[in-house]
Amino acid sequence: MKLRRLDARYLPVAGTLVTLVVLLVVGQARYSTPRQDFISMKLVSNLLIDNSFLLVLAVGMTFVILAGGIDLSVGAVVALVGLTVAQLFIAGWPAPVVVVAGVLVGTACGTIIGVLVQYFDVQPFIASLAVLFLARGAATVLGTRSLPIDDPTFSALASWSIRFGEGRTSWRITASILIALAVLAIAYLVLHHTRFGRTVYGLGAADRGNAVNLMGLRADRTRVWVYVISGTCAGVAGILFALYTKSGYNLTGVGMELDAIAAVVIGGTLLTGGYGYVLGTGAGVLVYGLIQVLNSREGLESWWTRVAIGAVLLAFVVLQRVIAVRRRPAARAVDAKAPPAPVPAA
Amino acid sequence: MSATPSGTVGWARRVVGHTLFWPTAALVALLVACAVASPGFLDITVREGALVGQPIDLLRNSVTPLLLALGMCLVIATGGIDLSVGAVMAISLAVSLTYLDGATDPTNPVTVATAVVLGLVLGVAVGAFNGTLVTVLGVQPFIATMILMVAGRGIAMLITKGQITTVTSPPFKALGAGSVLGLPQAVVIGAVVFALVALVVRRTALGVLLEAIGVNRESARLSGVRARSTTWTVYVLAGVLAALAGIIYGAPTMAADANNIGLFFELNAIVVVVLGGTKLDGGRFYLSGLVVGALLLTTIERAVIIFQLPSTTTNLFKAAVLIALCVAASPRARGWLASRRTASSGPRRPEAAATTTQPSSSPSGASTASSSRASSAPPRPSTTTREVGA
Repeated sequence: MKLRRLDARYLPVAGTLVTLVVLLVVGQARYSTPRQDFISMKLVSNLLIDNSFLLVLAVGMTFVILAGGIDLSVGAVVALVGLTVAQLFIAGWPAPVVVVAGVLVGTACGTIIGVLVQYFDVQPFIASLAVLFLARGAATVLGTRSLPIDDPTFSALASWSIRFGEGRTSWRITASILIALAVLAIAYLVLHHTRFGRTVYGLGAADRGNAVNLMGLRADRTRVWVYVISGTCAGVAGILFALYTKSGYNLTGVGMELDAIAAVVIGGTLLTGGYGYVLGTGAGVLVYGLIQVLNSREGLESWWTRVAIGAVLLAFVVLQRVIAVRRRPAARAVDAKAPPAPVPAA
Repeated sequence: MSATPSGTVGWARRVVGHTLFWPTAALVALLVACAVASPGFLDITVREGALVGQPIDLLRNSVTPLLLALGMCLVIATGGIDLSVGAVMAISLAVSLTYLDGATDPTNPVTVATAVVLGLVLGVAVGAFNGTLVTVLGVQPFIATMILMVAGRGIAMLITKGQITTVTSPPFKALGAGSVLGLPQAVVIGAVVFALVALVVRRTALGVLLEAIGVNRESARLSGVRARSTTWTVYVLAGVLAALAGIIYGAPTMAADANNIGLFFELNAIVVVVLGGTKLDGGRFYLSGLVVGALLLTTIERAVIIFQLPSTTTNLFKAAVLIALCVAASPRARGWLASRRTASSGPRRPEAAATTTQPSSSPSGASTASSSRASSAPPRPSTTTREVGA
């Protein structure tokens, strides 16, 4: 019985690792050539380069989901930040100011959601959906064409890298990778080694943060902060995405919120909040990236990725429910709205 | 509340207090403003046996958001949400048009009927998928429906093989662009569907059951409401209505553009539901408000053009409206309003406060929270913050 519980606790993360290994084995079996292995530092480096913005988004999303909320706005915020950055460069602002302004746009969006959720009692998904459309609308106002970014400082940052190895097996570390890994490391420290982090877990654990409040931790303030963090991460991700594409376009990032949520859920964080690992989120991003790589290596059209991500998310959500139902039979009664009716034990 | 207002004052207060007063007033004001800015805006003429004019256009354009909002409203009444409606529009249109494209005679009414039925059946399937996730597996509604919100467009792309499928079929086109008895056919279809749903929901106990589920699913289930199958049915209904909306929306152009059909229409549906006086918390809904809400939304879209604002700002306006309405409906804003009113003009009707009160099956926290909410203007206890899945 005890063993079984242990299993259930680690099942989501175990699922992540199994999926990761399966994808790697499939890739190794199908795409390795005598001259080059599929599994290599090059693969890891490429995965991180292609998904650095997603990693940052998913880290921010982890905070929100751990606290029992959701942020559907992040994809739109990425588009808004990209266009803001592009327009500010066109207006001739210096690069450091533009980058900071871009991140602050994300912070502002997150703050709106946090205030709506905490002080005006709007459900998180409605508040963030409203900001999704707000950000998308604002991006559309800023421009409906793809705006190139050709600022020299920004381009230099985008192309900066440290190269390792020679020839086919060479791999590199870029500024985006460093930023993304730094965000992940900070998030790990904050979530697992600070009072704030414990408050975040407490918020999502049960009874809407009541227990956390009674313990003297600031539940209300923390609930706003997780959305501010998520928005700021979306701002950083917007900058990384701009570095990646060197342009801003109002229709980028459609559905990126699903990718971020999928990465978090695949990484073993429970959607109901209160349970999960931010490092698992990192593994979730790798799974997401591998699905994309396998998809393109198979020569399938890009929209298959969308369908595949939906399917994988579905599988993990179902897995989570199975675990939840097994752990607490009463969990079946829980829905998004009402607290589970406690059955008085007479 | 002892002092029940009577006479003309009471009548006026009842009118102003009616759920639909402010949306209707906003609609009328907006129409008048449009008529002032663009003389002839309200003119309706008869051309080739059909009514023509801006008001008729507004009616026709309102059908799609109305159908989407109709399903969304019922889903929201149960305490859920359906984010997949825009993608469902794209899928159903893709299915219908792909079938027509492959048919030997796309002008044959039977073929067209089959295409429409196929699209609607797909709506049923999608709704059943969402409903099963929500009711059987207990996934949060917004996650369950978000899977299709995003993956759905991929599915639509698979169906159309990544192309923009275009076909020529006058009977199919007529669904969206034709006219019956002088009125656009789309409007007639929308009105009939709306009447049918309203009849079923409000003339049977279904509506009350939905609200019971929305207030507290568990206590509804304990009282003998078949919460699971009822909720499931509502998601299926939302899927069918979204499929129908997709067909009507795409029929005039007869082009299935999987990436763009119905993009952001979830927003429209939610805005219409909120404009119509339904709160997003569930447990209470107003169908008549949807008609006013849909007309208001369409008029806002048109007004943006008439006032010569860039059409790119439309979504910005809609999002701002949604946020403003959410804030206005929040307990905190109501608290401010209530305290100001009680200070200035005596007792007010308890209706607004009463709607936020939730019957609670548990004697703990929730009931004290709701009773303190119902009193005039306390600082809102943080326990009432509704977090997802908590």
